[in-house]
Amino acid sequence: MASKASPSPSASRSGSLKDASMAKADESAPVSKEIVSVIESLKRHVVDERCVSIKERMDNNRHKLASITSHLQKLSKERRNSWINFADSSLDLLKKRQDDAIGMHSGIGTSSSDKDSDSDQEDSHASTAVLLGTSIPPGKNSVRPIRLPEVKKLPPYTTWIFLDRNQRMTEDQSVVGRRRIYYAQNDGEALICSDSEEENVDEEEEKKYFLESEDYIIRMAIKEAGFSDAVINSLAECFSRKADEVKARYESLTKEEKTSVDSLNVDSEASSLNCFLEKDLEAALDSFDNLFCRRCLVFDCRLHGCSQDLVFPAEKPPPLNRPDLDNLPCGEHCYRSVSKPEKVATDDSPELGDTKDNSVQPSSGSAGTRTSVRKKHTPCARKKAKPSQSESASSIVKNMSDSSDSEIEPQHTASTSHLSPSKTKLGGNGGVSQRNSKRVAERVLSCSKKRQKVVGSDSDSVASGSVLGGDGKLSSSPHKENEDANSSSQKHAKSRSRKRELSIQNLQGEARDGISSGMVTDPPGNNSDVTLRKDDCADGNSCEMALNDNLSWKAFEKSLFEKGVEIFGRNSCLIARNLLNGLKTCVEVFQFMTQGDKRLAYQAGDAANSLGDGYSKFEHQGNNEVRRRSKFLRRRGRVRRLKYSWKSTAYHSIRKRISERKDQPCRQYNPCGCQTACGKECPCHLNGTCCEKYCGCPKTCKNRFRGCHCAKSQCRSRQCPCFAADRECDPDVCRNCWVSCGDGSLGVPNQRGDNYECRNMKLLLRQQRRVLLGKSDVSGWGAFLKNSVVKNEYLGEYTGELISHREADKRGKIYDRENSSFLFNLNDQAGWFVLDAYRKGDKLKFANHSPDPNCYAKVIMVAGDHRVGIFAKERINSGEELFYDYRYEPDRAPAWARKPEATGSKKEEPSHPSGRAKKLA
Amino acid sequence: MARIPLGCEPVIGSLVPSKKRDYRVTNRLQEGKRPLYAVVFNFIDSRYFNVFATVGGNRVTVYQCLEGGVIAVLQSYVDEDKDESFYTVTWACNRDGSPFVVAGGINGIIRVIDAGHEKIDKSFVGHGDSVNEIRTQPLKPSLVVSASKDESVRLWNVHTGVCILIFAGAGGHRNEVLSVDFHPSDMYRIASCGMDNTVKIWSMKEFWPSVEKSFTWTDLPSKFPTKYVQFPVFIASVHSNYVDCNRWLGDFVLSKSVDNEIVLWEPRTKDQSPGEGTVDILQKYPVPECDIWFIKFSCDFHYNAAAIGNREGKIFVWELQTSPPSLIARLSHAQSKSPIRQTAMSFDGSTILSCCEDGTIWRWDAVSSSSSSSSSQV
Repeated sequence: MASKASPSPSASRSGSLKDASMAKADESAPVSKEIVSVIESLKRHVVDERCVSIKERMDNNRHKLASITSHLQKLSKERRNSWINFADSSLDLLKKRQDDAIGMHSGIGTSSSDKDSDSDQEDSHASTAVLLGTSIPPGKNSVRPIRLPEVKKLPPYTTWIFLDRNQRMTEDQSVVGRRRIYYAQNDGEALICSDSEEENVDEEEEKKYFLESEDYIIRMAIKEAGFSDAVINSLAECFSRKADEVKARYESLTKEEKTSVDSLNVDSEASSLNCFLEKDLEAALDSFDNLFCRRCLVFDCRLHGCSQDLVFPAEKPPPLNRPDLDNLPCGEHCYRSVSKPEKVATDDSPELGDTKDNSVQPSSGSAGTRTSVRKKHTPCARKKAKPSQSESASSIVKNMSDSSDSEIEPQHTASTSHLSPSKTKLGGNGGVSQRNSKRVAERVLSCSKKRQKVVGSDSDSVASGSVLGGDGKLSSSPHKENEDANSSSQKHAKSRSRKRELSIQNLQGEARDGISSGMVTDPPGNNSDVTLRKDDCADGNSCEMALNDNLSWKAFEKSLFEKGVEIFGRNSCLIARNLLNGLKTCVEVFQFMTQGDKRLAYQAGDAANSLGDGYSKFEHQGNNEVRRRSKFLRRRGRVRRLKYSWKSTAYHSIRKRISERKDQPCRQYNPCGCQTACGKECPCHLNGTCCEKYCGCPKTCKNRFRGCHCAKSQCRSRQCPCFAADRECDPDVCRNCWVSCGDGSLGVPNQRGDNYECRNMKLLLRQQRRVLLGKSDVSGWGAFLKNSVVKNEYLGEYTGELISHREADKRGKIYDRENSSFLFNLNDQAGWFVLDAYRKGDKLKFANHSPDPNCYAKVIMVAGDHRVGIFAKERINSGEELFYDYRYEPDRAPAWARKPEATGSKKEEPSHPSGRAKKLA
Repeated sequence: MARIPLGCEPVIGSLVPSKKRDYRVTNRLQEGKRPLYAVVFNFIDSRYFNVFATVGGNRVTVYQCLEGGVIAVLQSYVDEDKDESFYTVTWACNRDGSPFVVAGGINGIIRVIDAGHEKIDKSFVGHGDSVNEIRTQPLKPSLVVSASKDESVRLWNVHTGVCILIFAGAGGHRNEVLSVDFHPSDMYRIASCGMDNTVKIWSMKEFWPSVEKSFTWTDLPSKFPTKYVQFPVFIASVHSNYVDCNRWLGDFVLSKSVDNEIVLWEPRTKDQSPGEGTVDILQKYPVPECDIWFIKFSCDFHYNAAAIGNREGKIFVWELQTSPPSLIARLSHAQSKSPIRQTAMSFDGSTILSCCEDGTIWRWDAVSSSSSSSSSQV
């Protein structure tokens, strides 16, 4: 900062603007002068108005400011008075000096005044605070410099705040990376050489929206000069935009005048919403898949990087299964409240209850869903009917294929195996026609919508006992049901083709026929009925159609729904609230779900199956295989890895270590993507690490670390397998480990075991002790403990930048010169990482070395990562300084870290750092 | 730099002096060899309106302007650390009204000197790097705010010695903070600017209880629960280079970069979305040859005029509140050649002090316009 260097002087920009615009006007000479003059005058008008408005605002501001400053002045006067009243007893030296000066000035005053003309005095280059010219020389009683005692500066110390940019910094300052850092000689400051990304950022695309003033000019100019290409061109030149832009703007302006501004806004909003919804979930989740770290649960984690393979666990967790504590509706749109009429119908039919495997209370929510699973046939029939309607009187096979196409979920899961012959044929029909399915889905939705409206009137009319017999029949013979369905659909098709001539009444009759032929149960009965009717209406009334289309399910919403089923099971309340909030209501989700079930069930042709595991139906096939990352990211990942695996240079700086042993037990863990129990070829096995919860392999994998079953011991001794393996317990893995958190206001976790909290999760939970920074008794700064601790208590984590060995060696050279040691070996030498706390780290990095320490460091596996914890080796009282043994490799240790016998004093400051040291872990 | 759209052009002042007021050199003194980085009048207490302080090297000096161009040294303070280089100084006072000089520099330690008792009162250790500017809250002159190279802005109470707030974090500056200023009337508001080319406006409204608490804090200052303000209410990208000085002008903001001009603009915050808003650039005050960073301007007590030095030792005095802005005077002297880091205008603007890279202090006094020979003006 000694030299406040001048950044490149940028040319003055003021005034050049006007010239530029004038020049442009000149260029457009061929354009009739008239137009130009019109535009110019308009521009001038705009500019004038601007000046006036600025002037006004300045005036307002001045008035405000005047009152403020006069108030301040008053305050400053008051201060003088209060001071006089208050402290006349105490001596105000400033005041005294002031008075002295005035006194002296009046003494010598006049003589000085003639000297202070246009200062022609020469510099006398006085080195002290010497005054030139007319000033009062320091008198006998005054101006002896008062010394300000020295205060120790803070050591360079950065708290690690988990900010994105902090993570980036680590990479930016890499010696190995593209950008070079240079260390300033005097203050150890790291300077980054120029070509940073920020400088390469492209000039931001100039925003192309039109300003009010420009609109004004466009409007007025065209009004005055008429609408012609010449005008448009000159306008464009004047705004330095493209002519067609201006033209388009003018057109939109004129349009705007006609329609209200509001509608325009609504349009744009709607379109922006649409473009979001058009995305399918895969695309929307791309960044999540590629950038979200499953282990740290943050985006763009620098620890594991974006080079991680996506690992999908072989076994899915069961859906969130919360006992429906409240059978209360989740809101006004809850399916429970809306679908009441249907329920009533269900209650009325005694047979329905009989057909169920487990008779459920009709009023309960689960009963609702169960029944819905049952009632699966209607939509199929309806669907079949629909295409046939559009292509009037097609064959059954055609119908069937259409209906299969219309499946929203690309259904190839377990249920496929249960397909009836007719179904497999359809499967042969090939891929899912997206458009078709979408359209159908929209229909489905709109139908259900429709139904909702008509339910009141229809439910009683159709929910007849006669239908229920059909249901019973169906469930008893699934295969037959299928055939039935086929036949019924055929009938339906026919009915459809005929339908146009029929009145709605007739239709209902038809539908009832179909129903009585053993096809549908009660509420879906309504459904089909209404559907028919609805379709009919739709034929006649395209307007309504369009309306309904808006309400249909987008691909995005559907995928969200699938995810929801995966997560929450068949709980439409939770799905609607958590995933489709604002997009769909609970009822809509519920209906979609039940209809989806019906379709599925039809496909499967096996009611029992669909009943058994409803949610699995929605499983996406793709989920079962490891999804591939985009090429770009994969490549990037490889490069990063390559970077880290470069051979270390011959030089090894000294590093702190955990133990004296040469071979480090710590191996870097990388999750494997095995989908079956890991065998010999599992990467984890080959690497010599256990499989962790992040691996894809099932829990039964032999290579898995199983966690502990400790109960009362609280995992504090080597009896706990986790503790013995230098691992922290993990509530996801260990059976009985849990901790409470907070004051319980956020809810208490389920207590496991015998209500003993696990004591082996301190790093994970960051339950460190308060460490203070202070002047060390030994050398430089030291870390002190605020409160006393007992033996083996966890004190805190040794944190820092995680860097490669190669990088560590480079940095080590620099650190060694400063005789500071912040490097800590983390993993095995050949493999991965070194911790560098020089720039970033917590206060424990200031703990000094001692061969007779009161702390020890230990590498602990925490959720798949190795972290360094510092523990108390003995009881430590509050205020004691913390030491631990850096465990330098004996041959490389600096003089002060050698064994006492080697150097005499154990904490001797080295005069010349001969070796270069890194702490070893 | 983006094109300025039609209808939003600022009014640019003309560089032809209006000669409303003339200034002449009345004194010059050499304080030492090290560059002087700051000079500031005491506006806190009306008894001391003619007292000013300068900093340079490890030295803080208090002077008094007397009649006839005389400058008297009142006090001098020297930091024992020879490597200290003060960059900034301001006047404050404790609750009793005792005048304090608050200075900070390369060491990052803020020195609070009790000028009434000629002793060091406190030292604020907290900034992780050099302190670039300190300013005093005019309504509560016990509060000072400091801008630092460590990318943070901190609010301190010189009365109790606590660090009340730290303005840094997720929404904070991304590089050195070079300048900071209190809003003249809205006590909650400060504006800061720095090497990340932005001006950020912060509000401490939500944290005001903390500020109140700082006045009655009796425990150790280190135990005060310092809070972080992570998000500014407004981020303005007015400049495309380092912004090294900003001052409030009522509700408008004056700021300067290295583009040879001071810019006056109005922040327009959107209430519903904090942090966003638009900037309306109202006026520009050109300052030729002012393209190095760390040149600061100053205003008189009533914000009628601002004085700014340039790289070549000239001073431009602008009338701030007129539209279009008018240049009151351009001050130059044959021997004033080195960059002027900061100027100070006296209470009524009649005296202008400038402190230069070569360690000199220049005093310019207004002369009654009729008798002006304009010899000091070029």
